[in-house]
Amino acid sequence: MDQPASKSEAADSSRRSPGLIGCLLLAPLLIWVVAFVVAPALIMLVYSFGEREVLGGVRLAFSLRSWSRVGDPIYLSILWKSVEYAGLTTLICVLVGYPVAFVVGRADERRRPMLLTLVMIPFWTSFLIRTYAWVTILKSRGLLNSVLMQLDWIGEPIEMMYTPFAVIIGLVYTFLPFMILPIYGSVEKLDPSLIEAALDLGAGPWRTFRRVILPLTMPGVSAGILLCFVPALGLYAVNDILGGGRVDMIGNVIENQFKGTARNWPFGAALGTALLAAFALAFWLTRRPDREARIGI
Amino acid sequence: MKKPQMRPVFSRVLFATLCALALVQPVTAGAADDAAAPKELNLFAWSEYIPTSVIEGFEKESGIKVNYEEYGSNEEMLIKLVSGASKYDLIQPSEYTIEALIKENQLLPLDKSRLPNMKNLDGWYAKQAYDPGLKYSVPYMSGTVGIVVNKEKVKEPVTGYDEVFQEKYKGRIVVLDDAVEIVTWAMATQGKGPAEVSSETVAATRPVLERWLPMVKVYDSDSPKTALLNGDVDIGIVWSGEGAILVKEDSAKFQYILPKEGAHMFIDSFAIPKNAPNPAAALAFINYILQPAVSKEISKEFPYTNPNLEARKLLTEQEQGNEASYPKGSPKLEIFRDMGPTAVEIDELFTDVKAKSAS
Repeated sequence: MDQPASKSEAADSSRRSPGLIGCLLLAPLLIWVVAFVVAPALIMLVYSFGEREVLGGVRLAFSLRSWSRVGDPIYLSILWKSVEYAGLTTLICVLVGYPVAFVVGRADERRRPMLLTLVMIPFWTSFLIRTYAWVTILKSRGLLNSVLMQLDWIGEPIEMMYTPFAVIIGLVYTFLPFMILPIYGSVEKLDPSLIEAALDLGAGPWRTFRRVILPLTMPGVSAGILLCFVPALGLYAVNDILGGGRVDMIGNVIENQFKGTARNWPFGAALGTALLAAFALAFWLTRRPDREARIGI
Repeated sequence: MKKPQMRPVFSRVLFATLCALALVQPVTAGAADDAAAPKELNLFAWSEYIPTSVIEGFEKESGIKVNYEEYGSNEEMLIKLVSGASKYDLIQPSEYTIEALIKENQLLPLDKSRLPNMKNLDGWYAKQAYDPGLKYSVPYMSGTVGIVVNKEKVKEPVTGYDEVFQEKYKGRIVVLDDAVEIVTWAMATQGKGPAEVSSETVAATRPVLERWLPMVKVYDSDSPKTALLNGDVDIGIVWSGEGAILVKEDSAKFQYILPKEGAHMFIDSFAIPKNAPNPAAALAFINYILQPAVSKEISKEFPYTNPNLEARKLLTEQEQGNEASYPKGSPKLEIFRDMGPTAVEIDELFTDVKAKSAS
């Protein structure tokens, strides 16, 4: 938002300050960011130093009690588990999403809108309903098991519901479009003559992909990784519905501090702030080395 | 937070609208017999607990519009109540939450002269420690937490918690996703009731939890019956209402059993928050649903234990005979008390053992 759109524009627009109209146009965005991002984060930070109230809520104070619990091995191991889940989800999304995005991006221009619509269609239904639909597919007498048994591929129903496998399926299903769309954006802009040049100059298909196509579409991939990994880390509804709540993710633990019997808002706020800080740090670290490339998004 | 400055044109439009509304308002108010009668009831209650037909019936009879907002746990309700962001006329807390709310002086004492139908209630409820004499709350439904078995799969009799958590049922068990519930079950097997919750008694349950939790397949407080119905598990510890629905669905297959060590009994009641804008509407609603004919409708849809004795008489024999709703004999039932700060320790213990059981 405060970053110039591209280098060439930056050269002449950075000299003059934005005019009145510019300020007015920016105002809604700034108000939105302050009201819904900055202010809540600050409230959370203040709450994390408070003391627990009997009925929930926070008595403002300066107490390090909640923060001293954040580093407890219990919560670090849960955080690590969440990172594993989110990481695996993101990896599968890249492996599955990249080819799809590539095919859609290189498809005939008249067919692209239709293909893109197909990627978007799941968004027309509520996320929770889509997740519950997986229950009917995965349950022990569900769609998948009955088909496999009809085909005589298996004799007994396979246990799929309430396993980590079901959670990963649910997460991949939820976040795949968020991977496909940014990669599609990069693939669409890819200049075909560069690929032709690489092939002409003797690079095989694999080398062309690795040395030409992949680096040029990397901005889309890294945007997709960010869009998948960050929300997947905090999403706990899929875990509850498809995983049977057996493995707590960090989102479950934070939710419990507010909606569970502990009613420990300061601790929930401290965990939330720590998670936010970790995201910010990760974002800052991934963003620095390829700043040039990112501008192309 | 800074508010954006209102543009003059916009504020003028707003002012004109308000004037127009002000003109309309006295006319509609004048049409009613009693100008002071409330027109709205802000009801904040458990999700899927009050039949729509009952709310519509009340709206029709009283002319009061009901705004029904839902929550999924006592704590979720407290978040909104404590933040004060919205004002509610009527809330539906469980007994231990009522006790805490009374202690914190958050409830309005009930004007019993407006609640003549309270005479229909079982006198037992007025003798409980969370609200002696029911000065602040009116029981809506009560229930227990008990064991449900799928008799096709579980052949041996199951009578208590320890018989649920057996190696042979590993991976076939559903339990409520609720730290306090599970810790108090473990306490019951050690001969301690929920009134004895303390740092020591809670910490002492760790070995029991370490044995139990690795055997659990599903944690679900919202709809534990689903995993049982789908055949993903064969045995569970669930709310009696969920158990009653399973028994109603297939009584040859499902059976509801109250654990011999002592079962948790909960009482969900109506109460009026201290800052309620329309307490009169809240009292009218409570008195409406205490009518036997109305209360019976609620029991039909949500087969918990109805504290309304007159309504119980209107139920069919089969409904009255459903042991999940109306247990036979005199089982050992225990009511939760407000646990105070020990709740934090329970949460931490449970989170820890659960995380270690999974890997």
